[in-house]
Amino acid sequence: MDTLAALGHGFLVALTPYNLLWSAIGVTVGTAVGVLPGIGPALTVALLLPVTYGLEPTSAFIMFAGIYYGAMYGGSTTSILLNAPGESGSIVTAIDGHAMARQGRGAQALATAAIGSFIAGTIATAALTFVAPLMVKMALLFGPAEYFALMVLALTTVTAVLGSSLARGLASLFLGLALGLVGIDMQTGQARLAFGVPELLDGIDTVVVAVGLFAVGETLYVASRHRFETEEIYALKGSKWMSREDWARSWKPWLRGTLLGFPIGTLPAGGSEIPTFLSYLVEKRLAKKPEEFGKGAIEAVAGPEAANNASAAGVLAPLLSLGLPTSATAAIMLAAFQQYGLQPGPTLFDNNPELVWGMIASLYIGNVLLLVLNLPLVGFWVKLLLIPRPWLYAGILVFSSLGAYTLNNNVIDLVILWVIGLLGFGMRVLNVPVAPCVVGLILGPLAEQQFRRALAISQGDPSVFLTHPISAALLIIAALLVIGPMVLRYRSNGAAKGAGKGDNASPSGSHPAT
Amino acid sequence: MTTGRSMRAGEAVLGGGLIALGGLIAVETMLTPSVGRAVVGPALFPYLISGGLVLVGLSLLREAFAGAIAHAEGLELDLWAVALVAAGLAVQFLLLDTLGWIPSTTILFAAVSRAFGGRRLMVNLAIGLALAAFTFVAFNYGLGLNLPEGSIVERLTSADAE
Repeated sequence: MDTLAALGHGFLVALTPYNLLWSAIGVTVGTAVGVLPGIGPALTVALLLPVTYGLEPTSAFIMFAGIYYGAMYGGSTTSILLNAPGESGSIVTAIDGHAMARQGRGAQALATAAIGSFIAGTIATAALTFVAPLMVKMALLFGPAEYFALMVLALTTVTAVLGSSLARGLASLFLGLALGLVGIDMQTGQARLAFGVPELLDGIDTVVVAVGLFAVGETLYVASRHRFETEEIYALKGSKWMSREDWARSWKPWLRGTLLGFPIGTLPAGGSEIPTFLSYLVEKRLAKKPEEFGKGAIEAVAGPEAANNASAAGVLAPLLSLGLPTSATAAIMLAAFQQYGLQPGPTLFDNNPELVWGMIASLYIGNVLLLVLNLPLVGFWVKLLLIPRPWLYAGILVFSSLGAYTLNNNVIDLVILWVIGLLGFGMRVLNVPVAPCVVGLILGPLAEQQFRRALAISQGDPSVFLTHPISAALLIIAALLVIGPMVLRYRSNGAAKGAGKGDNASPSGSHPAT
Repeated sequence: MTTGRSMRAGEAVLGGGLIALGGLIAVETMLTPSVGRAVVGPALFPYLISGGLVLVGLSLLREAFAGAIAHAEGLELDLWAVALVAAGLAVQFLLLDTLGWIPSTTILFAAVSRAFGGRRLMVNLAIGLALAAFTFVAFNYGLGLNLPEGSIVERLTSADAE
């Protein structure tokens, strides 16, 4: 029962009035920023990084945990009332959630999302408590070759899973990998691609790139489109409470969503997109009235929202125990750890148990705080949706530049932010997903380091990656993920010839910036 | 108004850009003298990534001319608004060190507000000024960060002190 003792100790850390205060501030600002349209969890976490700089690491990460969960809650409010999902995990929620809002049942949609998020978040945090130490034990069996293979798998899934075309996903990934090359090589001390600019020797910061793509690129895109699009906000009216029927239709989807969300979240499978989608399909299959789906079925909000929050906890398991980010949000959290000179992994559990377990304990606390913040006070958050768009986006850019500047206190980071922002605008217009770029930027150098270590140990024999069984298995799965869809597409194209164009691209109208 | 044809051109530019970036990385890596005697030097990954960039770039070029692209039917874009936002950010980073955080950020705020259709310039400037001043005070005095006050202001205050 080491785990329970450690968790108990974590609660002692997290429940000190000082840390409890930071947790409360974290969930509040996390919700407030997450509610703002166009801001998903990844950007919320990146924008709020500077707020934590003045704190010592344990308090900073307790606050961070609150921001992360708060952003998840806030994001569902936006997608339900505004049909503007801030990240891919909320797309599915937006379909029926917004339909419910249009029928005047917005309050019920928000309630089932909030309660479902609470239940899923609590169960999944409990699962995280026990899975993370197991993953740490597993991580101790991993050598550099296994780590390298695992990182290749994570990069592949983030790229192959998201977006409509493999070529565009790979374009984003390789851009990220190229940006990751800039700076001093960690093993030889040699400068790479710095072009004589001293500020580039430290490398290009993940946070700058994430803010550039998610905030600046997205703002430029919205600026280019807002004259041509109208948005509708639906006020909350009528009964604010869920009826007995709403409860009866919600509780099973909550639990099923949790069951889907947590395990898939722990896998290197790109975070919340797959579990939310699967949850929607499962609920539709099991529903008594599947014809209501798409027109405001409460199951279609309850299930995916639970899956979304459960996967958010799941993503933390590989992040904390292996140092492996599997979503854009996790990549930014890893950057935050690095900012404090910490490297997540087994050694973090050994050397900083207060930080790790304090953070996990604060996830439980944050969930309770968020339920309180979101059920009675939802009317207050809805007001934030009414901020006039000119000031909202101007404010987003003010905070983006603040975040980028305060990383290293130099203007070069703002220039990089600007360039990346314009690039992000181009990617957004061309429907190139940006998450692979962010994950590639932070994982690329780590993967290279493990690759070179593995070869140094094997004295240059490249077969280590295939003779170690775990490494070989991971690499084979990664290869199948890339080749499998290609073969399927080739076959379906062949079969569809004559019957028109066999186009299996997903709808390309409005993919959000994740 | 952006037509499907210019969307294809955009995708071709992206593909071409990736190929150029791959070439740049390869050339720069070739020109950098290698140090150290590790089994795998610091040059291998740059070469691998530049190769990947070229391949992906070629594949995008193929898609641009023959394959499925996003918004093939065209997409309306208000490029003037994009330029205004981009200009606001550029003005901010160009003036930040001299004028300081508060004035340069106020200009950024006003420019972005205008790009999103906010027509009352004075109101936008006032709100931008208030936000810039608030963040300056909150982050510098409350959270101990270093937003620049600007070399002009510094010169003035140091002149006072003398």
